[in-house]
Amino acid sequence: MTLPDFDPLPLTVSDLSLERGGIPLISGLSLRVEAGEALVLLGRNGVGKTTFLRALSGVLRPASGDIRYGDVPAIEAAPAVCAFLGHDNALKPDESPRQSLAFWSKLSGMTANVPGAMAAMGLKALADRPSRRLSQGQKRRAALARILVQNRPVWLLDEPAAPLDADGREKLSLAVTAHLGRGGLVVAATHQALDWPDARIQELTR
Amino acid sequence: MRAGAIFLREARLAFAGGGGPAAPAAFFIASLTLAPLAIGQSQATLQAAGPGVICFAALLAVLQGAERLFGEDVADGTLETYGLSGLPLSVVALAKVLGTALATLWPLPLVGLGGGIAFGLPAEAAGMLALALAAAIPGLAFLVAIAAALSAGARRGGLVIALIAAPLAIPLMVFTASAGRAAGIGDAAASANLLLTCAVSLFVTALAPFAISAALKARLE
Repeated sequence: MTLPDFDPLPLTVSDLSLERGGIPLISGLSLRVEAGEALVLLGRNGVGKTTFLRALSGVLRPASGDIRYGDVPAIEAAPAVCAFLGHDNALKPDESPRQSLAFWSKLSGMTANVPGAMAAMGLKALADRPSRRLSQGQKRRAALARILVQNRPVWLLDEPAAPLDADGREKLSLAVTAHLGRGGLVVAATHQALDWPDARIQELTR
Repeated sequence: MRAGAIFLREARLAFAGGGGPAAPAAFFIASLTLAPLAIGQSQATLQAAGPGVICFAALLAVLQGAERLFGEDVADGTLETYGLSGLPLSVVALAKVLGTALATLWPLPLVGLGGGIAFGLPAEAAGMLALALAAAIPGLAFLVAIAAALSAGARRGGLVIALIAAPLAIPLMVFTASAGRAAGIGDAAASANLLLTCAVSLFVTALAPFAISAALKARLE
């Protein structure tokens, strides 16, 4: 896959406070992620990692503070620049990875490399199997391949490696490295060691 | 066209997972078969009740698949991904509902035609009723979709959908059934009712995507 580099698009979070259902989670958080950089979020269950990622995706409005991609607030910028992987894989039980990836690639307005994305996640042999017959790890690979075909500069990944085996984690790490090499940026929440070279760690605390 | 991709995918998924038009059509036929057993077999009663019963059964058939419409997208994370697709959610909703409705609801006017004849309506009246049903079904599909979007992800969503959609469906029920009834007695009001059905259905189809989008946005937060 030789896709063109992204325009540099740094992520700036300033004095951010978030709450979920009236419970304050994150307060006064400021950070900056440059293009070509990966940020790994660590922290106890319930500390607000998922909520933070959802705020970065522009879906959740901050209680106070500001999130920007370049100069544009996240709520406006995110639909054009973010690829989001949540806890759920956004797969349909009756759709094969090939069908699903072809669809998301079309919807992202890119003729991204669907076979290339499947190869990068080791899905070649599973390409035509309906996803109801994939294992948890295989589903996660298909969801990660969707992030690849969406071809967005900002990847927001919530527990991307949770059900992956060693081979899957290595493929994810390679994909992340390639993405950073193109000038993309990655923010990932995790409980696992991800072995991403040069990833910055941000510990979230209450 | 990106919205076209959603339309085609929804139509394909409706066939792959939901059996396409089989479920709503079977539901519609079953209700129409049972209704005369409850109403009684007098020809005059059946003729008088026919258009109303057929319209009502069509509404139930449209409601039948509603819970899956947005409920699954909420549960499996697809809605979040649509939200970040760069397409307005109203366009996503329009493409999705049209794709699903065309794939699953197209036999209903034909079943309505057969039902009209079986209830003893004159051929002309049965034809008018089928036309009115064809005009009403896009509107009904979008009304039900509004209710489905409002209740997406809620427990017992199906019940909530029926409660929200029923009052909204009143105008379409009245005009569609009146078209069939008027045609049955040779009243010229039949075509007026058909036009009113078209108007309401178009109005709903034009506005519903925005309502659905607002409901889904609230759901995402």
